[in-house]
Amino acid sequence: MSRYAIRFILTLTALALPAAALAEDAPRPVSSAPVPHFVEEAAKAGIEHTYDGAWEFFVGGGVAIFDCNGDRRPDMFLAGGKNPAQLYENRSPTGGALAFKARDIGLTDRQVTRVLGAYPLDFDNDGIVDLAVLRLGENLLLKGKGDCRFEEANRALAFDGGREWTTGFSAVWEQGQTYPTLAFGNYVDRSKPGSPWGTCHDNFLFRPDGTDKLRYDEATRLTPGYCALSMLFTDWNRSGEPSLRISNDRQYYRGGEEQLWAVPPGRPPRAYRRADGWRHLKIWGMGIASIDLNDDGYPEYALTSMGDTKLQTLDAEADETVPVYRDIAFDRGATAHRPYTGDDLRPSTGWHSEFQDVNNDTLWDLFIAKGNVEAMPDFAAFDPDDLLLGQWDEKFVEVGDTAGIALNRRGRGAGLADFNMDGLLDLVVVNRAGPVSLFRNVGAGTAEQPRPLGNWLAVEIRQERHQPNRYGVGAKISVKIGNRSVVRDVQIGAGHASGQLGFVHFGLGVSERAQVRIRWPDGDWSHAYRVFANSHVIIERGADKARLWYPE
Amino acid sequence: MKRRLAALILLSGVWPVQGSAADAMPPWSERGITGDLDFDALANADTDPLPELVALGEKLFKAKFVAEDGAGRPEATQAIVPTKRRRPSALAFQRMAGPDANSCASCHNEPGIGGSGAFTANVFVSEGFESADFDSIDPQFSNERGTVALEGAGLIELLGREMTADLRAQRHAALQKARETKTPVTVSLETKGVGFGKLRAEPDGSLDVSGLEGIDDDLTLRPFGQKGVFASLRQFTVNAMNDHHGIEAQERFGKTWTGTDDFDGDGVTDEMSIGQVSALVAWQATRPAPGRMTDLPADWQKAATRGESLFSEIGCTECHRPSLPLESLRFEDPSPFEGAGTLRRADVAKPIVLDLAELDWVKALPRDDKGRVLVPLFGDLKRHKITDASRDTLGNELLSQRFVARDVFMTSELWGVGTTAPYGHRGDLTTLNEVIEAHGGEAAEATRAYTALEETDRQSVIAFLRSLEIPE
Repeated sequence: MSRYAIRFILTLTALALPAAALAEDAPRPVSSAPVPHFVEEAAKAGIEHTYDGAWEFFVGGGVAIFDCNGDRRPDMFLAGGKNPAQLYENRSPTGGALAFKARDIGLTDRQVTRVLGAYPLDFDNDGIVDLAVLRLGENLLLKGKGDCRFEEANRALAFDGGREWTTGFSAVWEQGQTYPTLAFGNYVDRSKPGSPWGTCHDNFLFRPDGTDKLRYDEATRLTPGYCALSMLFTDWNRSGEPSLRISNDRQYYRGGEEQLWAVPPGRPPRAYRRADGWRHLKIWGMGIASIDLNDDGYPEYALTSMGDTKLQTLDAEADETVPVYRDIAFDRGATAHRPYTGDDLRPSTGWHSEFQDVNNDTLWDLFIAKGNVEAMPDFAAFDPDDLLLGQWDEKFVEVGDTAGIALNRRGRGAGLADFNMDGLLDLVVVNRAGPVSLFRNVGAGTAEQPRPLGNWLAVEIRQERHQPNRYGVGAKISVKIGNRSVVRDVQIGAGHASGQLGFVHFGLGVSERAQVRIRWPDGDWSHAYRVFANSHVIIERGADKARLWYPE
Repeated sequence: MKRRLAALILLSGVWPVQGSAADAMPPWSERGITGDLDFDALANADTDPLPELVALGEKLFKAKFVAEDGAGRPEATQAIVPTKRRRPSALAFQRMAGPDANSCASCHNEPGIGGSGAFTANVFVSEGFESADFDSIDPQFSNERGTVALEGAGLIELLGREMTADLRAQRHAALQKARETKTPVTVSLETKGVGFGKLRAEPDGSLDVSGLEGIDDDLTLRPFGQKGVFASLRQFTVNAMNDHHGIEAQERFGKTWTGTDDFDGDGVTDEMSIGQVSALVAWQATRPAPGRMTDLPADWQKAATRGESLFSEIGCTECHRPSLPLESLRFEDPSPFEGAGTLRRADVAKPIVLDLAELDWVKALPRDDKGRVLVPLFGDLKRHKITDASRDTLGNELLSQRFVARDVFMTSELWGVGTTAPYGHRGDLTTLNEVIEAHGGEAAEATRAYTALEETDRQSVIAFLRSLEIPE
């Protein structure tokens, strides 16, 4: 029996179908929140790229979104699997059709092939964004040199990129550290007897050596590993000390589960156990998204899987040391367990997930990339990506088809970013064995005549004058509109092999003003910055006023 | 059938008025909202839309709204952003937190409908977020404000739009130059002769706005409200209808932005349509500009002439500019500078165009040698610090309003000031002399010059100001 057939049987027997079954007969809810319209224009925009390869590349397929040339417009580094990864420089006119140009980034073919994903970060604190590249084989730390050029820094940083099959990444500046701690999540150890079953590889934690010079001499093993497909440093309990959440693929582990690791500064990481309140959860974990949905200061987590997506919130039994989570996906209408359009009723396969506000109504929306692993017969073949719009009754309503993103492609990694700087988040999806999808968000309008939705705000934070962590990773941005504060953390990690760094987007609804406060990574809160809607603002730590930025 | 007919008062269709009950209203109906207009039909009409808009606008402005119209907001606060009350209101109407009025005209009524209001018509301005249900005049909860006249408001908005466009063009040019030359560019912003401080553009496209003066960082000139915080009559109207009456306009409080068509929970859905708001806007925008008394006795005329010269000589016209030039009299509704929550240009296929040049009172206004209308507002549409330690009467507020410091106010337009007593933003200064002497801060020098004048000269200044009237 092939591994795919086995996977299919296991999946069928374990799928959490009751929630799905209950929902089948209900009429499909209609969104009262405005539905944005997306126009696919990858080819017109100059994007010709495909993520492909053998079964090692059935997973992965990420995109790193960041500004590589200093113009503050988000550029893209797309993983290619067996094909070379490619960097596309953003040439989109403000408010216009999307346009990109492929750029040579100064690396060899070996360095840019077998890439599964990438995350942007400034690991050397020079203000130029670098890349952590996840590969089948040696991972790479690419030092940004400006003008979209990079050089491999593994040797200079004493970083051992290993030989693993790396599928997850997250980074954080631990308290008191000048340089970031890097977590690499690994998938199956193909060299072990019996592979792939029960042969998940350990994950690695690289901590800077604590000197003035950046070096990653030694990796800490996070044992056991359970075939990680997504990782995120997250301050789940508002302690100021991020823990490492890992979403794992039950397909290959034995006796495994979803994981949360405490990572106390200067001490070894420690996995939360049942005795610590951590509840056993087995899913085909593929992507993490995190946001504070209910404005209580504690993040919720969307975990993609095969079949039901999980949406976890802290349970009443939890406290600041006891991470007890319960699933609210069904209550919130966010299970996204099968295709919402077409006649394929088989379960979905979810990958990248991301909370953003795509219609600028102040309510968080959830994007999920979907797609069959390859040709698994008992999972939906036509499995379009989800766009779940947040509603005022706290539920989510699926609008993927009416929004225009329901393509017959196998989504993997993705990212929502405002590529044409018009205040509407656009969408890039890396598809397996198919062209990259690039959707321009035209709001309430059309490709020819885009129309805005709600008011918005884009916030970039910097702490150049005071801290080494220039982009403020680990900070919290709180945007107060009326009585409500919309909060988002600046994080590196999560999603599916995809990350971004740059302006952080907020929908402001009908507010024409907002007050922005920053909780910097060391815990200090800023004063409230008074800003007007529909603008890009730059908040530098210690500055009296926010600076404005205009793409014109 | 001509398009105009399609625009006639409708009682059903795209923007219905409280369902079908309205068209069955008997002649003795107490309802205040009894008609609607189809926005798109008016925008596309072959004929001048003004008469229909103004007729309905005046009717709505005078109307005493009743519960069936949607008056009252039992579950919503006065906030300009849809905000739910934390607890039920004990009172349907309440003079402090509101709703505080049955009709627009119940406050704006001196010397006639649309005018200013006496101290009895003061309102208590609050953001409507924290302590939204205050029931005290204690200034820690609200800022008490007099009712200002709406005469000439259409021209004020048009001036504001042109100044916004002009300032933004200067910003754009500075950014472009900084990017091209790769060096920082600092510009002094000025429009219609009024300076608004400095702006520094960096080569990376970022802006230092710390040098701006008297205008918001986004370079949107917001001419309305005593703090200069509303950009348009439309925005002001939507705000005021909710605040003062509990009538919630669909364009902000409707389902799109709140998930419900009855956000205030009074049982009435979609209480005010875009057509009705447009009618109110059109009526306000076409209120004749205040003028000057023409039949003054000789001694008053002589004193007023002398007073006008002194008014300039002692520095009052630094801020109270006698006029500002206006390029275009084409009033488009909605404005090109609206944000979400007030109808935007992008929300409609075509704006309604009101040609103010066709109005007789506009034709009578002076023009400069470039053909521009000289709007005799006696203001500069700029905010100034107006109090200091020695003259703090006008700084009697505790709360800043929408990012504007408590001692900073928009220069009051003095046209019509002779008929809009009492004075000061709280309406607690009974004479022109009192309010002049209350000026501190940036106006301190002019005030000192005024107080140094001989009594007869001071009286001349008063004579001049009293000659600026809103005709009844």
